[in-house]
Amino acid sequence: MILCVSDEMTKEEMKNNSKTPKEAEEYRQQVVIPLLQHRGAICEPLVDVEDNVLIGQKIGECDNDYAAQVHSSISGHIIAIEERPHPSCVKKPSIIIESNGTNESINFKTCTNPSKEYIFDTLQDSGIVELDGYPVFNTLISKKIIDTVMVNLTYPSDANSNCTSDNIPKIIEGMKLLMKASDAEGVIIINKTDGQLASSIRSSLNGDNIKIINTKRNYIPLMNNLLAHDMTGIRISNRDTPGYAGVMISSAYGALAVSKAVLEGIPPIEVNVTVSGAVKNPMINTVSIGTSFKDVIQSSGGYLGEPGKIIMNGILSGTAQATDEVPVIKSTTEITVQSIDEVVRDKPGPCIHCARCVDVCPVNILPGRIASFSDIGRYDECSKLHVNSCVECGLCDYVCPSSRHILQLIRFARTALIRLFNIPEEKESPNLKLGCESCETPCDTGTSSVTEGGKK
Amino acid sequence: MKLSVSHPPHIKQGVTVKTIMWSKIAILMAVSLMAVFVFGLSALAMILVSTISAVITEAGIQKLTKQELTIKDGDAVSIGMLIALLLPHTVPIWVPAIGAFFGVALVKHAFGGLGSTLFNPAIAAWVFMNMSWGALTKISSVSHIGSASYNILFLGKYSDVIFESGAGTLAEVSSFILVIGGVYLIYKKYIDWRIPSSFIVTTVVMALLLGEDLSYVITGMLFLGVFILATETATSPITKNGRFIYGLLCGVLTVMYGFISCNYVVAVLYAVFFANAVAPFIEKNTSPKPVDEVAL
Repeated sequence: MILCVSDEMTKEEMKNNSKTPKEAEEYRQQVVIPLLQHRGAICEPLVDVEDNVLIGQKIGECDNDYAAQVHSSISGHIIAIEERPHPSCVKKPSIIIESNGTNESINFKTCTNPSKEYIFDTLQDSGIVELDGYPVFNTLISKKIIDTVMVNLTYPSDANSNCTSDNIPKIIEGMKLLMKASDAEGVIIINKTDGQLASSIRSSLNGDNIKIINTKRNYIPLMNNLLAHDMTGIRISNRDTPGYAGVMISSAYGALAVSKAVLEGIPPIEVNVTVSGAVKNPMINTVSIGTSFKDVIQSSGGYLGEPGKIIMNGILSGTAQATDEVPVIKSTTEITVQSIDEVVRDKPGPCIHCARCVDVCPVNILPGRIASFSDIGRYDECSKLHVNSCVECGLCDYVCPSSRHILQLIRFARTALIRLFNIPEEKESPNLKLGCESCETPCDTGTSSVTEGGKK
Repeated sequence: MKLSVSHPPHIKQGVTVKTIMWSKIAILMAVSLMAVFVFGLSALAMILVSTISAVITEAGIQKLTKQELTIKDGDAVSIGMLIALLLPHTVPIWVPAIGAFFGVALVKHAFGGLGSTLFNPAIAAWVFMNMSWGALTKISSVSHIGSASYNILFLGKYSDVIFESGAGTLAEVSSFILVIGGVYLIYKKYIDWRIPSSFIVTTVVMALLLGEDLSYVITGMLFLGVFILATETATSPITKNGRFIYGLLCGVLTVMYGFISCNYVVAVLYAVFFANAVAPFIEKNTSPKPVDEVAL
């Protein structure tokens, strides 16, 4: 997999260039905080237009099982609550706050040696979301027994942005808090080629009971199930989470946010974002959540030439943005700008069955074959060829010599399958779980328990 | 400011069908040069006529059926060159011309063009020519490593590896170029390594078990089959295990045919031809098990 760093700047130079939060203040005038920054229901706003808010104040909350509260990242007053462009959806309701120039914040509760209950309470309140969109708190309280906490440092976007020398001790702190909360062992996953990162982690460990495992492959957040499988040898269904194998997977960003939330009391209001590609001064920025991509790119020196594409979270599997007005959200780790000449404009040719996609596929399916069936509308065949196992890493599309749009066709087949054959998407609803027997007493239709698939 | 929006990935590796095809053609060109050096201008004429016939056929079909012209991707060129290389230098010049027409028109385009062929067009065309004009395409000389009467680079009597003077067909003139080229293709991942390795290992092991003289088994044609013909993408299985089995089958068929007919040159071509026929069945029965499939 490619490291998404521009050629001009090495990783080290980028780290030296990164701005401190204080310097970053200047360009945040107005922030747009989407009320949906995780997988789950949209939060309800807790504030009204014209209200004044402080840094760290809770402004959105939801009652769902999958909940991640949102907090204000600046102090100022709210000028609107309306639908605004969102980096991973089309438009979502957002709270727009205008800064009043002061840096007033709520009183952050610090804690040096938190108890298990305290960790749970703060995590529930802070709404930390992992890079794959799952709230950390939900993973911790799920009924699955977690015996290993893994911190995945092989996702290039995340590791570049968050694994600076200042942050590494905090990441390890956050990891220890997660280990304490779940009574689990700790493992750090590092790519074999990233020797520098491994040595700096090792020097910060100080004899803690944390193992370091080297992998050959980079794991993007969507590959969490695969990572858990590769580490434990337990096969996990694509409808399940790593919790099935007793594993909780956290990113560097997640561990950092946990340590900040629990030890310093600061909810996720800032993220580290690598800006790379066709910008004048590629660097790592610490930006407030809600800052628009335009402002972040401006602080990196602005566009170099005319921009052709703006991509969030990695050039290989990230989302291209329709506008640079979209805000930075909790799971933003990288913004890549491509100049107009760099934009791929290939015309797909016929599949020559070279099997290059089969060779690179991390989950052992036949991507090219599935794409061909999807192209002619044979979604039943796609289903037989395990289209739902795909983790959407984009490697098959990247290596395809015929420029076939394999990933797009696979995604198309998956949505078509859901629509046509009504294969329900996995939802972690507690009353769909088998064997809970809670329906036995009230049910008077004669059936005694819920059968598979949730039907009576 | 206009921004493009598309699905990921937003970058391509840069290896295209053209890259793969033209690297194969580069190797075939090196072999052709060697053939012209050995057999003279008649070989050059054969290669040129065959290639031009293949390209004109492809262009004509695509013009007639109002398709996009794809002669630049190199597939027709490689088919034409291969057809000439599979023949002895004594054939009349119209034989490769008709062979190339047959290969491109009836084996490639009648089945759907690039990527959809059932049989390797070059081999199918060779089978057609061999059936139709057996007397003209008969191979008069049998290449045999270890009988060279000259000396290159202190290789002594094994100089045949680099420069086969007793080559029956144009392709057999140099095993050395084919091996170097094949290893380069594998190194660049333009062709798969599973088919060549299982093909060659099976052939050598089976020949040794049957007590054959390896110097007759390992010919230039075997290496052409291993690296260029058997790895033709459309006619070989795409599953990983399937490719091993396909290579194994090619090897078994080569030795079976060669053991009975005592002609290991023709054996390679018929082995790949018949392996092509069963490749879809191999593929169907070796579907991989995805990582997330849970045993019930």
